[in-house]
Amino acid sequence: MGDLTGLLEGFSTALQPMYLLYALIGVLLGTAVGVLPGIGPAMTVALLLPLTYTLDATAAFIMFAGIYYGGMYGGSTTSILLNTPGESASIVTALEGNKMAKAGRGAAALATAAIGSFVAGTIATVALSLVAPTVARVAVQLGPADYVALAVLAFFTVAAMLGASPARGIASLALGLFIAVIGTDSLTGQQRFTLGLPTLADGIDVVIVAVGFFAVGEALHVASRLRRGPIPLVPISGKGMTRDDWKRSWKPWLRGTAIGFPIGTIPAGGADLGTFLSYATERKLSKRKEEFGHGAIEGVAGPEAANNASAAGVLVPLLTLGLPTSATAAIMLAAFQSYGIQPGPNLFAAEGELIWALIASLYIGNVLLLVLNLPLVGVWVKVLQLPRPYLYAGILTFAALGTYAVGASTEDLVLLFVLGGIGWAMRSYGFPIAPAIVGLILGPIAEEQMRRTLAISQGDPTALVTSPFAAVVYVLVVLALVGSQWLKRRQARLDAVVFAQAQRDEERLVPTGGTSAEGPSRKDHDSRGAR
Amino acid sequence: MSAVQVPPGASPPSTAAARRHRLPVGELVVVVVLAGLGVFALVEAHTIAVPTSSNAVGPRAFPYAVGAVLVLSAVGLLVALLRGERGEVEGGEDVDTSGGADWAAVGKLTAAFAALVVLVEPLGWPIAASLMFGGAAWALGARPWWRALLVAVVLNTAVHVVFTRVLGVYLPAGPLEGVVGLG
Repeated sequence: MGDLTGLLEGFSTALQPMYLLYALIGVLLGTAVGVLPGIGPAMTVALLLPLTYTLDATAAFIMFAGIYYGGMYGGSTTSILLNTPGESASIVTALEGNKMAKAGRGAAALATAAIGSFVAGTIATVALSLVAPTVARVAVQLGPADYVALAVLAFFTVAAMLGASPARGIASLALGLFIAVIGTDSLTGQQRFTLGLPTLADGIDVVIVAVGFFAVGEALHVASRLRRGPIPLVPISGKGMTRDDWKRSWKPWLRGTAIGFPIGTIPAGGADLGTFLSYATERKLSKRKEEFGHGAIEGVAGPEAANNASAAGVLVPLLTLGLPTSATAAIMLAAFQSYGIQPGPNLFAAEGELIWALIASLYIGNVLLLVLNLPLVGVWVKVLQLPRPYLYAGILTFAALGTYAVGASTEDLVLLFVLGGIGWAMRSYGFPIAPAIVGLILGPIAEEQMRRTLAISQGDPTALVTSPFAAVVYVLVVLALVGSQWLKRRQARLDAVVFAQAQRDEERLVPTGGTSAEGPSRKDHDSRGAR
Repeated sequence: MSAVQVPPGASPPSTAAARRHRLPVGELVVVVVLAGLGVFALVEAHTIAVPTSSNAVGPRAFPYAVGAVLVLSAVGLLVALLRGERGEVEGGEDVDTSGGADWAAVGKLTAAFAALVVLVEPLGWPIAASLMFGGAAWALGARPWWRALLVAVVLNTAVHVVFTRVLGVYLPAGPLEGVVGLG
């Protein structure tokens, strides 16, 4: 079956009214949950997983495609409209949109984010349709040692890229690997770390760990430090994109796509890196550098496009190698496994129909998002205003629901809450969650491939590195470790600069005495001199 | 930093410095737990039965490696901690990082969740989950309590109907078994 025929057949499946409805539900739910503050794409996918338990695989994955893209999209609305002055400098890329909204150009910010997401998502999905089958054809020749190398690459890049320091990332990764080992060894049938408890004999369900770490952990984290008072929402104002906005946006969209898609395909810890690189690029190329930090439309258009393009890019290693490179992808992989489907080079041959339907529904989901989101922005604003006590009580309820739905076991609920407690502790002390999830899902794959390699080589460990492909990957591991630290330092520096700029801007805008436009600004200078 | 005014809710610059000098008890506990987990993994891995049929690498190797990585990362963290590096509380839209943790709220939330665990089988999902949701919302500051409970009942009844009727997921109905639409 040719790739194009496959794609066309995928469309003929995905365009059936019933499947179209699932795509629509997925997009709407994904966006609605993604808009909720504190809920990233990984948590969106994990929380909505139970909805797909009883669907057939095609329907489930079509819905998943919608949830995945919708969840990615929803976040940008939140960062543009919700004004929570940053304690965390990492939100700097989200800051431009927020500044635009405050300056009365919220509609333009939302529009450039939406259209940029559509443009990037569509181009990146085309790239995915072209690249993925080709990669799969090459990947068929990879041996077990090569997979071990790829897994090691994913482990180290995810652990090094995310989190404040590599030690924290690796600790989180090791925790995920540890949880993955609990249960019955798949090759020898021996129990490992089960403490003799029958609940643990089958291992801990991945969904429970993901929901526990992300949903319950987040609920506990927020509960312990809830920001009181009214929700600081910025009203949407302005008239949408002007001709000048279009002129300033289209190049960043394309550049963001070009940066985001390749970054997504390599194990670099998900979309964050692409977003940052796009922001840095736009800032560098812009003729109006002074606007950055104060609401430059390029700073919304580029990163937003990069974010969506890398969401499609992440699917390349996921579908063709079975290699999750972000927490969201790891949870998607778990979803595949729950249907007895193992993503990898044979996926296009074995499950061609399903995969092409999934890819076709990515195109459809993108169009649906563009058509629906701008008109529905009023609804998303309402969603953002959800009183926080109800929001987090609801997250807890749906986390429990998803867990209970897996196996109707109260022991699982206890486990969920314990894992949530661990997730809370990790958030309180600056440990990133994503490496644990990637370790959890990728750990068993890495172990199995490692043992297969050594079984074939009859115990000779050099077999792990003598494959040329594996050797190249290990060199990349070293480069990635060095590179990620350099990149992180750069990111921290840029964040600090832009953040300081925005802060100054803030002080000028919020009038201390509040007379004329000139007054506060002079006052500002005076008091600074006094310090 | 050239912050002229400290905006309400933000921490004054001095607290960050003060935190740095205090002994990081919480973080030390994390390091100890991490190291303990690693030692546990190493010791437990030694007790995993290795079938004679297993070739080159048996079921022990990977657990040993995981234990070693856990211990090493704990050591790395301890060194960083002694050098004055501190983990930062993860920020977020609804998170106020300036104060300490509100243990009372977390305690109430835990109690609400425990109630669900104990009650879901005898009382069924609609009642048990409503109590949990109502309790959690109240613990987080929803007032008056009856409105939180009302929202909880409506939401969880709807959830129950959608999941059992439309999606075909099993949820216990408890005493509501037999009530039209629920059980």
